[in-house]
Amino acid sequence: MRRIFSQARKELIQLVRDPLALALALLLPLILLLLLSTAISLTVHNLPLVIQDLDDSSASRRLADAYRASLSFHVVTWPPDRQPEKALMANAARGVLIVPRNFGHDLARGANPQVQLLVDATDSNTARITQGYANQVTQSFNMSSGAMAGAALVGAQVRLWYNPGRNSPKFYSPGIFVMGLSMFPALLAALAMAKEGEQKTILQVYVSSISAHEFLLGKILAFMVIAACEWLLGMLTLVVVFGQHIAGDPTPFIVGSVLYAFCVSSFGTWVGAGIPSQAAAIQVVALAGFLLVFLLSGLIFPVENIPPGLRWLSNVVWGRYYIEIVRDALLQGGGWPAMWFSVFMIGVLGSIFYTLAWVSMRRMQVKA
Amino acid sequence: MNRLRALVRKEFSQIRRDKRLAVSLIVPPTLQILLFGFALDATVSNLRLGVIDWSHTPESRELISEFTESKSFRLGSYYTSVSELEQAIGRGKLDAGIVVPYEFAREIRRGRPVDVQILLNAVNANTATIAQGYSEGLILSYNRNLAANGIRPAVRTVGAAPPGQRGVVSNLTAFLYNPGLVNAWFIVTGTFGVLLILNSSLVAATAMVKEREQGTVEQLLMTPASTTEIVVAKITPLFVLLLVMVVMAVAVMRVGFSVPVRGSILLVVLGAALCVLCGIGLGTFIATFTKSAQQSQLTAFFVNPPLATLSGAMTPVEAMPAWMQPVTWLNPIRHFGIITRAVLLKGSGMDVLWPNFLVLVGFAVVLVSLSIWRFRKQLG
Repeated sequence: MRRIFSQARKELIQLVRDPLALALALLLPLILLLLLSTAISLTVHNLPLVIQDLDDSSASRRLADAYRASLSFHVVTWPPDRQPEKALMANAARGVLIVPRNFGHDLARGANPQVQLLVDATDSNTARITQGYANQVTQSFNMSSGAMAGAALVGAQVRLWYNPGRNSPKFYSPGIFVMGLSMFPALLAALAMAKEGEQKTILQVYVSSISAHEFLLGKILAFMVIAACEWLLGMLTLVVVFGQHIAGDPTPFIVGSVLYAFCVSSFGTWVGAGIPSQAAAIQVVALAGFLLVFLLSGLIFPVENIPPGLRWLSNVVWGRYYIEIVRDALLQGGGWPAMWFSVFMIGVLGSIFYTLAWVSMRRMQVKA
Repeated sequence: MNRLRALVRKEFSQIRRDKRLAVSLIVPPTLQILLFGFALDATVSNLRLGVIDWSHTPESRELISEFTESKSFRLGSYYTSVSELEQAIGRGKLDAGIVVPYEFAREIRRGRPVDVQILLNAVNANTATIAQGYSEGLILSYNRNLAANGIRPAVRTVGAAPPGQRGVVSNLTAFLYNPGLVNAWFIVTGTFGVLLILNSSLVAATAMVKEREQGTVEQLLMTPASTTEIVVAKITPLFVLLLVMVVMAVAVMRVGFSVPVRGSILLVVLGAALCVLCGIGLGTFIATFTKSAQQSQLTAFFVNPPLATLSGAMTPVEAMPAWMQPVTWLNPIRHFGIITRAVLLKGSGMDVLWPNFLVLVGFAVVLVSLSIWRFRKQLG
C-alpha cells in the first residue's frame, strides 16, 4: 500500500515539473469545454432568407412581415432582377420564399394559395429545421388572418421536458466534458508509461522490490488524481458557466466517475506499456480518445444513426457509457434504475484495460 | 534555381525512403473520411414513442397510427398513466410521448377543437426541434384527413375572421442541391478541409522537427542555399504528396458517398492545394516553437480543436452564438468548406467564390512567410 502511494507521488511530482504536461492536464480541457460547448450546436436560428414578392399586394406584404418578425429568419435583400436561386449559389441565403402573382387575389377569393420555399439542402439537418421554421411562420400567418380558426380540429400541445429552453450547450457540454476526461488523463498516462519504456527506466523498476500490480496501481492512482482535478474544474465550469445542476440521486454519478477515472488511466497505461514510443502513443490515444469518443459515443449525433456495421463498436466505447451517466446526472436524474448498466460497463471495461496493461507490462519486461 | 532544384531532389529522395510517411499520409485520411461520413449523421428518425390513449376509439387509434406509421416515430409501448410515461422518458426508454385525452373522439364528432399532448425529451435540442416539426406536420395531415372526410368544426371559436380571408396559405418546399437530404454530403465535404489542414500541419511539423532533432539543420545552413530556399524545398515534396491525398479523398467522396460533382473539380483541387499550403505553413510555424516531435504533437492539441470546430465543417455556423460567427472567417477551413460545398453540390463557379479563394491565398502567403521568418529567426 505504502509503495503504491509513493509511486503515485513520484508520478505527480514528475508531472508538476513539466509545464506543457500540466497545461495539457488542467488548462486545455477547460478551454475545450468552454469553446466547444459554446460553438457546437445544430439548432440554427436567424437564418438568412430572401423573399421574392411577385405579387406585391397587401396580403403578400403581410406574409413577408410575418417572416421578417420571426426570430428564426432574417430577411436579406436581393435585387428583384437577379434569379433568387443565385442567392443560394452565392451563399447569401439559406432559403428563398417566392410569393406567386395573384397571391393576394387568391387569398381574398378564399382559395388556398401556395408559396414556394427553396431551401439550400447542402446541410440536410439545417434544411429540415428551415422547413419546420417556415411552416410554423406560415401557420401563424394563417392563424392571424383568421383562416385557421376553423380549419384545425386537433391541436398539438408540445411539451419539452428536461431542457425546455432547448439550450444546446446543456446537451453538448456534458459530452465535451467527457471527451476531455477521456483524452487527457489517458494521454498523460500513456506518455509517462511510454517514457519509461523509451528511456529504459523500466529496468530500474524491475530491479526494485515493487511488484507489477503495485507499480501499475501507483501510476494509475496518480492519473486518477489528475482526472479528479480535471473533473472538479470541469464540473465547476458546467455549474457556473453553463448553469447545470445535479438532478436526482448523485451516487451513480460519483461511483461512475471514480470508475471512469480508473478506466481511462488504465487505458492510457496500457497504450503506453504496449507502445514504448511517445510519439506513436500520443497518436493512438488521440485517435482512440478523440475519434472513438467523439464519433461513436453519441456526443453530437445519436448513436442510433450509425450504420449497424459500425454501431456495435460503440458498445465498447467507454466514453459512451460515461456520457450517458453525466447527461442523466445533470439533466434527467434517472438514478440507479436508469444507470446501473452504464456504471457496470465502465467497471468491466476498466478492469479489462487494467488486465491488458498488466499483460503488456510483463511483455515489456521480456523485451527489456 | 539550380540550388533549389538540388534541395528539392534531396527532399524527394528522403521522403521516398520513408515509406511510413507516405502510407500515413494516404491511408488514415481516407479512413477518416469514410468513418466521419458514416458515423456522423444528424438525421432524426424512428423516435421511440410512448402512447397513452385514454380515448380508445377508432379516431384516437387513427391518430396514433398516423404517428407510428411515419418514418419519424415508431411505437415504443402503451402506458396507462402519465407518471409511468414520465418514468420511461426519464430512463431513456422513450424519446417522445403522446397523450390522447378521454374526450378526444367525442369532441371531434361534435366538431369541437381538442388538444392532444406531445411530450418530447428535449435533452438533445436538435432532436427536439426536428421532432416538434414532425409532430406538428403529422397533426396537420390528420386534420386534413378529417376535413377530407367531411368532419369540420361546427362552431367558429376564435373571433370572426374578416370576410373574404378564409384561404389557407401553405408552403411548397423544394430542397435544392440535396433533395434526398443525405446528411453525409454535408459531413464529408466539411471534414475534407479539416483533414487537409490537420494532416498537412502534422506532417510538416514532423518533417521540420526531425531535421532539428537529428541536428542536421546546421548542415543545411552551411550549404549556400538561403533559408527561403531550404523551407521551400522542404515544402515542395510534402505538397506533392498531400495532393495525392486530395485526389484520394475526392475519389472516396465520389465513390463511397456518391457526392455529385456539379461544378469544376479543378476549383476544388485549387482550393485544396491552397488549404494544404495553409496547413504546411501552420505546421512549420508550430514546429519552430518546439524541440521534439511529441512536443509539437502536444502543441497541436491546443490548435487543432478550435480550428476544426470553428469552421462550420460539421455543425452549421448559424448555430453558433452571434459573437462567435465572425471569428470563423479567420479560419481557412471555413472558406475551403464553402468552396467544396458550393462547387460540388451547387455547381457554383469562380464568379461567386473568388472572395473565398482570395482569402485562402492570403492565408497561405501569410502562414508560409511567417514560418520562413520564424525559421530564420530561430537559426540566427
